[in-house]
Amino acid sequence: MSAGAGPGLAEVDAALAGRTALPRDNGELVFEEPWQGRALGMGVVVLERTGASWEQFRRHLVAAIREHPPEPGESAATAYYAAWLDALEALLAERGLLP
Amino acid sequence: MSTEHGHHHPRPDSQVALRARALEALLAEKGLVAADAIDAVVELYERDVGPQNGAKVVARAWTDPAYRERLLEDGTKAIAELGFGGAEGDNVVAVANTPTVHNVVVCTLCSCYPWPVLGLPPTWYKSPPYRARMVAEPRAVLGEFGLELPDEVEIRVWDSSAEVRYLVVPMRPAGTDGLTEEALSALVTRDCMIGTAVPQAGSR
Repeated sequence: MSAGAGPGLAEVDAALAGRTALPRDNGELVFEEPWQGRALGMGVVVLERTGASWEQFRRHLVAAIREHPPEPGESAATAYYAAWLDALEALLAERGLLP
Repeated sequence: MSTEHGHHHPRPDSQVALRARALEALLAEKGLVAADAIDAVVELYERDVGPQNGAKVVARAWTDPAYRERLLEDGTKAIAELGFGGAEGDNVVAVANTPTVHNVVVCTLCSCYPWPVLGLPPTWYKSPPYRARMVAEPRAVLGEFGLELPDEVEIRVWDSSAEVRYLVVPMRPAGTDGLTEEALSALVTRDCMIGTAVPQAGSR
């Protein structure tokens, strides 16, 4: 569909629907700080480059969210994308791409 | 909500920002991910939410009377059948246009919008004049959008809220009998589902 830049957002939304849905505010993706957008972009590109599926990533994300619930005072987007980084590292480790 | 980011000294969560940067550097080093590839995705995703999901819902309603019935009865559930939905799209109510009733949607308080089916709201939807005038003089505002409705057509204005968001199901245009569901969905523009336009058989 969308040439060059990986799967469309709709595909990602569909893959992550429910508990692992991307943080939004009235439809717009919420990036409180630039690193959160970078984290999302890294995930999309890594999955594309490694051929890992969104289902595989989602499993890691579910586990990461469970292990690290938001700390007091932490925003939902910060907690979500922190878990996202955990999940991405776990996926890379699983595939032998990270120590 | 928590937008106290005005101060510039480092916050505790900059720890996680460093972690993100370190991971990105590592991925670049391994040749897995280039910075501009990430830029492209972020840029695309910040914009890439369109009304195509809603158009599919409408086209299905046009071609499948049983689906149409379910859609008008419980919009959220029928929309979920096609795989669309999300936390904020939770209560979508579909309202159908008929030869005597035209529906149009506004959010007088802010800019509530059924984004899982329509994507991001257009700028004018959020503008104070649209929000105020669509309620006070809908016929005149629709005229400014180029939509002249006969006097006998009743205009119903639906005010969205955080709890309930509306999707207009326009009438299927005449002369589209032979079209596939996919071709039909291409006729359904965003404005048709807000109610500021009606589908044209020859459009697009």
